[in-house]
Amino acid sequence: MNSIAQRFSHSSTSNVLNEINQAQTEFAGTPQLELAPTIQLPPISQPTDFLRAHTDDASNPDCKIKIAHGTTTLAFRFQGGIIVAVDSRATQGNWIASQTVNKVIRINPFLLGTMAGGAADCQYWETWLGTQCRLHELREKERISVAAASKILGNLVYEYKGMGLSMGTMVCGYTKKEGPTIYYVDSDGSRLKGDLFCVGSGQTFAYGVLDSEYKWDLTVEEALYLGKRSILAATHRDAYSGGSVNLYHVTENGWIYHGNHNVGDIFWDIKAQEGSFNNVEG
Amino acid sequence: MNATVASEYSSEIHSVPIEHRFNPYSDNGGTVLGIAGEDFAVLAGDTRQVEGYSIQSRYQPKVFNVGDDIVMTANGFAADGAALIDRFKNQLQWYKFDHGGKKLNIKSAARYIQHLLYGKRFFPYYVSTLIAGLDEEGKGAVYSYDPVGSYEREQCRAGGAAASLIMPFLDNQVNFKNQYEPGSDGKKKRELRYLTLDEVLELVRDAFSSATERHIQVGDGLEILIVTKEGVRTEYFDLKRD
Amino acid sequence: MDIILGIRVADGTIIATSKAATRGISILKDTDDKTRVLNKHNLVAYTGESGDTVQFAEYVQANIQLYSMRENDIELSPKATASFVRNQLATSIRSRKPYQVNVLIGGYDTKSNTPSLNWIDYLGTQVELPYGAHGYAAFYANSLLDKHYKKNMDVEQGLALLKMCLKELETRMPIDFKGVYVKVVDKDGIRSID
Repeated sequence: MNSIAQRFSHSSTSNVLNEINQAQTEFAGTPQLELAPTIQLPPISQPTDFLRAHTDDASNPDCKIKIAHGTTTLAFRFQGGIIVAVDSRATQGNWIASQTVNKVIRINPFLLGTMAGGAADCQYWETWLGTQCRLHELREKERISVAAASKILGNLVYEYKGMGLSMGTMVCGYTKKEGPTIYYVDSDGSRLKGDLFCVGSGQTFAYGVLDSEYKWDLTVEEALYLGKRSILAATHRDAYSGGSVNLYHVTENGWIYHGNHNVGDIFWDIKAQEGSFNNVEG
Repeated sequence: MNATVASEYSSEIHSVPIEHRFNPYSDNGGTVLGIAGEDFAVLAGDTRQVEGYSIQSRYQPKVFNVGDDIVMTANGFAADGAALIDRFKNQLQWYKFDHGGKKLNIKSAARYIQHLLYGKRFFPYYVSTLIAGLDEEGKGAVYSYDPVGSYEREQCRAGGAAASLIMPFLDNQVNFKNQYEPGSDGKKKRELRYLTLDEVLELVRDAFSSATERHIQVGDGLEILIVTKEGVRTEYFDLKRD
Repeated sequence: MDIILGIRVADGTIIATSKAATRGISILKDTDDKTRVLNKHNLVAYTGESGDTVQFAEYVQANIQLYSMRENDIELSPKATASFVRNQLATSIRSRKPYQVNVLIGGYDTKSNTPSLNWIDYLGTQVELPYGAHGYAAFYANSLLDKHYKKNMDVEQGLALLKMCLKELETRMPIDFKGVYVKVVDKDGIRSID
């Protein structure tokens, strides 16, 4: 009883300060410097089933919460560095939620992350990865390797395995030690190093074009066009992909943005120029 | 199946256990819309609240001035929406206490809301969230979110029950999608320009009166919160009450 | 479906693992190495749930190496290695989220100069075998090996036998597995075969 009385008596300023501090920790939630996020779970025995019942539009089409899905993204290594190309459509069921999504997350001037699967999962954890990479830089006085950065993300999503995260991402970057490097990381915990990846619902269509024209010796201009053309192919055949193409080139001096190309505009230009897309009249 | 003697009580015998599923969600209808102009932004919402086919209220505002010239709405499940907005307002107060009354810019507010939403990634808020205000350069800004916090800055966005009715209209009237210069044979796109506040208010009223005609969960009243460098002001217009 | 095969011969153990890393209907990589070196004379090959496989293999790898560091550079024998891995999987299967990983451990005991092949599945079943496989490959390879495997074959003969298995798998498996990486564990340690 005495301790309670003491807590609520304002005998000195320090007590008042304590009071404020305590109130802050009680009501202000997590302290600002705590970077590891805490995520609330539903108060039931099987949180994963709950989430699936309410958010998985594949197994339950009339579920209430529809999480943005569907994408085509690609990245490949070649003589001149790395090309990253993505579409910009976000869908919730049959509804096109947005045609202007930014599916390339600029982790830092030398690292890019692509986004396929749950939009929020990718956006949130890849920005989180950005902070982890910065902390690594501050601690080690050296830029993080692509291998290490991708492993931080890979280990993080593995902790959440089976909880319902949905992401398929490519961590692309250049470091002195590694050269241009791509790691594929997905939400079931896979992490693969490779020269060429396509990820998302339109991946097969992008592979179709990319595999047929890909060579290590591509010039930068040819490579940028091939990236753009492969995404265009996917937007044409995959209903869940579309909007526009965002293009990036990763070099030893960091990434360079090569613009946003609206599918509505480039389709007809490319069709006329290549004499391709002969399934389309006009 | 157990054999039973036919009786009035046979229906009380359950061969399978009764399933109870935790369902803490409901849909309270309504629709919201935000548009950013050159030096202003608006966030509008109808004031009807429903549950199933019953109208609970004809005036239950869902767009709020949350402080620091930021307006916010979280449309969908009203309880989750209210909880989210309360939490944001509360945190904004703490931010001010901690930082000597510093103004929170909309970019930071937007990122913070992502964290509020993603913090419930495995038990989501069933809402589509919008905020509007002015950015650091004084330009109008609208940010939109999915239920678990993926977000994007946009010129305009409709959310809630009639989003699918209003959004295509906005694409055409705000971003001039599929509009071409007359006589250019569909070759030259209509040039983009900022709309004036009066034009925007006209669009908002048209969007809502049209949605009211075609969506049962929309109607009764339209409340528009307008953010300019002078601050936030509210306008109210009646909508059809059927 | 990944292929992992192991054949024990008189002076060593041969391990073969498919190179394809498949997700859904796409082969994402055709140079995937599904093995980890546990110590100088022990190699683990793995298959199973993606994510779990690498996490588990690297976890046991780290722990076996940690053991050697702590215990005055004593190398864990193949038998001890296999027991440790089995124990980990047996503990895991009784947990809330078990590792769904099947492994083969190729080893060479430098004390008794004996090669060994240990077959362990995700349930914690462990057997020491002359030859073994996991997954669909087992359905083709086991019968073939039952017929053609001889005691006291040398590495060359073992590799010839492995070739027979791979030829059969290439003809009958419905999906291209992009060839295999072949490794041999013997008294000199672990080496790759072209």
